[in-house]
Amino acid sequence: MKRRIRVIRLLLWLSLFTFVAPGFTERAPTSQVNEEARDFKIFTDRVQEYVRMQKDLKASLPALNPTNDAARIIEHQHALARKIADARRDARQGDIFTPEVAERFRKIIDRTFREPEGRLARETIRPDSSSKVVVLHVNDVCPEDIPLTTTPPTLLRMLPKLPQELAYRIVGHDLTLQDTEARLIVDLIPNAIR
Amino acid sequence: MPAMRRSVFVSCVALATIGLSLYSQQLALPLRTDSVRFAVIGDVGTGEKPQYEVAGQMIRERLKFPFEFVITMGDNLYGGSDPSDYESKFERPYKLLLDAGVQFYAVLGNHDSPNERFYQPFNMNGQKYYTYKKSNVRFFALDSNYMNPQQLSWLEKELQDSGSDWKICYFHHALYSSAAFHGSSTELRLLLEPLFVKYGVQVVFAGHDHVYERVKPQNGICYFIEGASGSLRKGNLRKTDRTAAGYDRDRSFMLVEIAGDELHFQTISRTGLSVDTGVIRRDANLRNHTVDVWMQQ
Repeated sequence: MKRRIRVIRLLLWLSLFTFVAPGFTERAPTSQVNEEARDFKIFTDRVQEYVRMQKDLKASLPALNPTNDAARIIEHQHALARKIADARRDARQGDIFTPEVAERFRKIIDRTFREPEGRLARETIRPDSSSKVVVLHVNDVCPEDIPLTTTPPTLLRMLPKLPQELAYRIVGHDLTLQDTEARLIVDLIPNAIR
Repeated sequence: MPAMRRSVFVSCVALATIGLSLYSQQLALPLRTDSVRFAVIGDVGTGEKPQYEVAGQMIRERLKFPFEFVITMGDNLYGGSDPSDYESKFERPYKLLLDAGVQFYAVLGNHDSPNERFYQPFNMNGQKYYTYKKSNVRFFALDSNYMNPQQLSWLEKELQDSGSDWKICYFHHALYSSAAFHGSSTELRLLLEPLFVKYGVQVVFAGHDHVYERVKPQNGICYFIEGASGSLRKGNLRKTDRTAAGYDRDRSFMLVEIAGDELHFQTISRTGLSVDTGVIRRDANLRNHTVDVWMQQ
């Protein structure tokens, strides 16, 4: 009889813990998640807005299909870059990586590099000894004479997904958002990699 | 007496040199009917004399071993991608191969413009990563500069759907490397190798480090680095117990022949020296591949 009472008491405690505990443990993170989702929604909306504009501008150029003529590839890249830079002549750093979004990204980057695999992500971005320091601005064309830094795959898993027209690229200590075809800097977070 | 000894020694050296030279001309590939034959080059695009010399050696070897296509490990064009770069770093050095109908299947290195994917002779069809099949061999050409979740999902699906006997992956950054300059891309390895093991990839080629290295099979996968077909970091290899064979004294390229369940390889230096050869036998259970090395220098 005593044993049965002990079991019932244990079950009651367990059910109480099951229903009440999540209320305490999840409330704070839920609001954080909502804020993060809101900030990332702003980011993805602006990314989509950019891609729409880029596609419209690209449609006004002769289509670039695989070609034997290297000059055509370069001409297309330059023409697209000129059109985008012209359409976004008033674009400023922070238009897409708004201050709130940039702060979220900085936290994700810090967290990624701090985690146990963070050492490997740091090794991934270790620049070539030949890399030179470049100062980039929105609408700059990525310099072709410096090697690309591999964007750590673990970081890419943590950041919002991008459409294929854009890529996250690390240049020096900056995280840049690059147009992969026009090779333009669309926006950047300076000193995101600390 | 000492003069005679010296003369004998000189004669021996001369004979050994002639022997080595004849030996270096020997082809260690079986040239079987209906086999898949290709060359592997990496980190080529310097436009400098040694790149042209390697290309010349490839042309000479093709007379003995008529390979049908070439896979490149990236860094196809160093220092820019103006039309003149395409011309001096690709079209001119490989003109005779291109004229003979040899196809090139490129991947992007960290020195390449992503827009090289639109260059028809690289056969990338506007894609940064892609797959193609040659007989019973499925090739997966990856973009290791930007291994995002989309590419990983694509790779998993393509590996899963591939019914080919042989699955070969290639990309720029080496998952295992004993070279001092870059070394292994460990972060990338943690993501890619489980997929390679799960879906039975047998062979992986990479570049980035400017040496040749054959790594002892890791988790049943044979890894090669061929990043010295244009650039070279002489003496950069720090052989470890993982290194099966290596060559960092001169530039090199590989010849590969796949016949049934066997993959034969021969690595040749810029001057025509055979620096590594062997055969990888595919196990039907897709796991335990055995590598027989016939000779090494």
